[in-house]
Amino acid sequence: MSEAEAYSYDADMRKANRKQAVEGRSVIFKIKRCDGPGKPTRWESFKVPIETGANVISSLNWIAANPVTVEGTKTTPVVWDSSCLEEVCGACTMLINGRVRQSCSCLIDEYAPKEGDTISLEPMGKFPVIRDLWVDRQRLFSNLTRVKAWVPIDGTYNMGAGPKESHEQQQMRYALSECMSCGCCLEACPQFTKEEDESKWDSSFVGAHAISQARYFNEHETGKQLKGERMDALSGAGGINDCGNAQNCVKVCPKGIPLTESIGSIGRSATMHAIKQFFQGKK
Amino acid sequence: MADQKRVIVVGGGLAGLAASIRVAEAGMAVDLFSMVPVKRSHSVCAQGGINACNDVARQQGYSEYQHFDETLIGGDFLNDQHPVLEMTNWAPKIIDLLDRMGVPFNRSSEGFRDLRLFGGSLFKRTHFAGATTGQQLLYALDEQTRRFASEGKINMKEFWEFLWPIIEGEGEDARCVGIVAQDMRTMQIQSFRADAVIMATGGCGLVFGKSTNSVICTGGAASRCYQAGAWYGNAEMIQVHPTAIPGADKCRLMSESARGEGGRVWVPAKKGDTRKPADIPDTERYYILEERYPKYGNLVPRDIATREIFDVCVNEGMGINGTNQVYLDLTHMDPEYLTEKLGGILDIYEKFVGEDPRFNPMRIFPAVHYSMGGLWTTYTAGDYQPDAPISGFKPGDSIPVGSEPGQGMKVGAHNNAMTNITGLYAFGEVNFAYHGATRLGANALLSCIFDGLCNGVSVVNYVREGGHTPAAEIDQSVFDAAVKQEQDKHDNLLKSTSNGTGDRKFNPYQIAFELGEEMNSASTVVKTGPGLEKCLGKLEELKDRYSKVELGDGAMWTNQSLSFTRSVGDMIIIGEAIAKAGLLREESRGSHYRTDFPERDDDKFWKASVAKFNASSGKSDVEFVEVKAGLVKLRPRDYGKTESNAGAKKEPVGAS
Amino acid sequence: MSENADSTQNRHFLLRRLHSLSGIVPIGVFLIVHLVTNSTIAWGGLNSRVDQEGFGWIDRSIATFQHEVSFINNMPLLLLIEITLWSAIGFHSILGVYYAMSGKGNTGAYKYGGNLRYALQRTTGYFGIFFIFYHVATLRWGWTWLIPGDAVWSHEAASSTFAAALRGSPEEFTAVGMVVAVFYFFGVSSLIFHFANGLWSAAITWGITISRPAQKRWGFMCAGIGASLMILAWMSIIGFATLDYDRAVEVENAMHGEQIHLNSEDALDAVTLTGHDDTDG
Repeated sequence: MSEAEAYSYDADMRKANRKQAVEGRSVIFKIKRCDGPGKPTRWESFKVPIETGANVISSLNWIAANPVTVEGTKTTPVVWDSSCLEEVCGACTMLINGRVRQSCSCLIDEYAPKEGDTISLEPMGKFPVIRDLWVDRQRLFSNLTRVKAWVPIDGTYNMGAGPKESHEQQQMRYALSECMSCGCCLEACPQFTKEEDESKWDSSFVGAHAISQARYFNEHETGKQLKGERMDALSGAGGINDCGNAQNCVKVCPKGIPLTESIGSIGRSATMHAIKQFFQGKK
Repeated sequence: MADQKRVIVVGGGLAGLAASIRVAEAGMAVDLFSMVPVKRSHSVCAQGGINACNDVARQQGYSEYQHFDETLIGGDFLNDQHPVLEMTNWAPKIIDLLDRMGVPFNRSSEGFRDLRLFGGSLFKRTHFAGATTGQQLLYALDEQTRRFASEGKINMKEFWEFLWPIIEGEGEDARCVGIVAQDMRTMQIQSFRADAVIMATGGCGLVFGKSTNSVICTGGAASRCYQAGAWYGNAEMIQVHPTAIPGADKCRLMSESARGEGGRVWVPAKKGDTRKPADIPDTERYYILEERYPKYGNLVPRDIATREIFDVCVNEGMGINGTNQVYLDLTHMDPEYLTEKLGGILDIYEKFVGEDPRFNPMRIFPAVHYSMGGLWTTYTAGDYQPDAPISGFKPGDSIPVGSEPGQGMKVGAHNNAMTNITGLYAFGEVNFAYHGATRLGANALLSCIFDGLCNGVSVVNYVREGGHTPAAEIDQSVFDAAVKQEQDKHDNLLKSTSNGTGDRKFNPYQIAFELGEEMNSASTVVKTGPGLEKCLGKLEELKDRYSKVELGDGAMWTNQSLSFTRSVGDMIIIGEAIAKAGLLREESRGSHYRTDFPERDDDKFWKASVAKFNASSGKSDVEFVEVKAGLVKLRPRDYGKTESNAGAKKEPVGAS
Repeated sequence: MSENADSTQNRHFLLRRLHSLSGIVPIGVFLIVHLVTNSTIAWGGLNSRVDQEGFGWIDRSIATFQHEVSFINNMPLLLLIEITLWSAIGFHSILGVYYAMSGKGNTGAYKYGGNLRYALQRTTGYFGIFFIFYHVATLRWGWTWLIPGDAVWSHEAASSTFAAALRGSPEEFTAVGMVVAVFYFFGVSSLIFHFANGLWSAAITWGITISRPAQKRWGFMCAGIGASLMILAWMSIIGFATLDYDRAVEVENAMHGEQIHLNSEDALDAVTLTGHDDTDG
């Protein structure tokens, strides 16, 4: 699925915005700020001159160099997380106008084409805020450990090539392999709720990204060896059965990963896994 | 755990992860420090692929040795030859390992790993996973790292910034016994003991302002090691990619295939013509490459394209609307054909620029891409010691050396990839050894993983057999002193906020901006002696302003401004090493092009530049030392034009 | 520890899947039967087997409906069937509410079709529980004080009673009757949506539909099932709400051969206690 399709319900609007973008305009950034965990939140607005090709990152850079609000009050530069700025690392994910996406690929022309238009920036809501727009997504990575998202190789010494794989199988796995752990699917998921208590992570909903990664490794000839353990983890509390099939995940995934197909596929594996366990009398 | 000794790895890209896995596998505890969750490291940006000899190419006359030879020609013979031989010999085995880890390499119809052509070779030797090979390789290593971490064998320290290597002893006895690092969230500064420290911190693209690098590629960590006494090699060797999309925040690659498919590079013939591109008739356009190189036209080799585009904009000021941009025009072609052939890359342009390149000419400019230079390292040569260097090897010639491990470098020798400071290693892009004066496409991923896997063993051996006092038994005062030094620097910066002393007034973001502008114009594509002199003068001025920098944020919690401002100081120092080495290298070689010395001068400069930080003057002393050669005889780098064009025509995807 | 974890895990899996299954069998199956039965009030005229002297379309419809009701009420082990059903509904409801509480809707920010259905599934679930309770309490357990129009309940007078209940009085629509009718309309519509969407969702949960085209195709089929059931349900409601009360009473009497007095506690008792046999067997 293309990104355009993923954002289908406002893609046309954004394209139209792009065409009527006014040159040399200034745009208001309304940013939800928080000085640290447990600190109160506040909104601050900044007026940012928009240069050609400006995106949210370049605007935040401008604010960092000129941290003065529209009211003329000097404030601190906004804190946010970023790395590659090419939409492959997943770091700069945040809520833009209330919806989750990467800020590096968010063009101002598409969101605020006219003088004085407003763009709001908020941190992701499903993860604890570290400061301002920066959140702690450790749980997301912890969930990858939970489903043993790796191929159990014997070691790194030379032992010849890996298993052969058909072109079709590779294409299928490649689509899943592009997950950059950005967390969009979790932010948009009504079943994935904020959980700050680390001890509850392993029994809270694991999320589409981890389910899809479990499928990715179940589909690999060697990775398959851990399928039983992955299915054990995904059959329990917070596993595949906690999915409510709202399917927002696949809509917001910036990489167009077929997350809902992964959910169906893991659902089938879980069914088979349970039947197998029942008749084998295991445990 | 087999012993109490620990290894610290700084950086969680391909090199850092490969090293962590290898060291942990040997049963040694690893502390892995990274400024970002390792899965978000800059290695994800690599697109094209990873080079390695393979069975098909082998039967066509290719060999590991040929790959080795190509890498040296590509690097204009500035590479350390033995490590390159070892690397290319390991390459097929590294691919096998990645394959076993589950990397979704593209497959042939029969299910074998598919291959593509890439610059610098006439054989298909580049393995790839879609257009995101670096991402896939990084993820494979990330997964294995996560597995080790879940077993308690690797201790992840994500969102920790490396501040300083802790060095005990003086001169020859100097040995790295740990690091000082800061938690980027709590701002806590702490020392960590280690029996060896591996720097795998990547390149320094941000020194040039907007580059194709990630925002974390400041070179800050390398600069801190440099300031602590580690030498910096071939600093002046910076690879610039000819066609990047200038963005408001960074430059993103535009693949060479756009030119391969018929893209034309032009600017308005009249300086200051502000009309829209579609309104400018053909006769009023200046097709730069076609007019300057009628024979090759838009398909001139990369370095020439880069220089001409740069020349037109920077020297002649003919860039679009006076900016440093030229048009890369595909609009004369059938949109459907373009979608079919170039869909992926055109979508990237549209996503980040907001214009459809099928109907609007793309605006592009060369951008800094890769640092061949880095921390100077050493090694122990392997078994292959020819009586005389081989000259002019060709495919099909009898291969002078086998591909078993240990021919190029002695595997496991303690000093492999070790800097001049005992116990301090440099892996990956921050290791200067492999790529000489220019890196071949799809060799970067290889050198990173090779460093981790091969030289990770060296680190383990050094720690186990080196006979040094365990870091755990070193006197605490050594660590306390290092922490104090960093804490003082930190507190000093904090004091400079507006509610502090008040005599600071310079904005760190402005200083960084000016640093990038200056470095970009003076020390990238086209360099001149006077230009570099001026650049060094500007750096002095920036250094002075930096000493009076005013921090915008006095917070004691997650202070990003502080971290950035600290790295600006370090970037100026690395920038100075780059400019100075470039000034002193009075020749042109690979990516280093001096208009005042346009020829390669082997007699004087077949040497690596080695920059040493002079702590008392705060400046770089640059000297030139013999390149560690002896395997292959120097020859002219004459393949350039024909080869690059062949590559561009046959497989126009290789823009990594 | 691991054994303990395993058993928790298995229990979790079992409960989740039983929840999914119970929505289809027996609840969904019953829903279909129930709607087919009730809608005979609108199309039972097709049934010639209940024809009697002087019966028109509407009479045959009433007779068919009464016949079906009697058939159900005279099934052996009816109580067991009812208990199974009530337990299934109770189980599905309690777990459903518990599961629904674990999520947090976000249709404000993400107005995707799937997300709206997700939210609706929960809303219709809550509303459906309320509706079923009212429906069963009034028409099965005899909490007649909840029914407008002084209706009493006997399966032998099901048509007329229900018609009166939906109108608020035997004769004409009252305001309260309108509320009840609208309540029924939303109640059954909710349950049908809940069932059809649940069918679609269950196919993913069990791993029957995996690919997007498969999910889409099955989605259309579920929509078809839902639409058919909606038609049956609305036919039933309209059929009863517009039913000629007097004719209904007449047909009921003709079928059961005995005057059933509305508003008479004794008559009700007599009917339920003696357990009359189906008259047209």
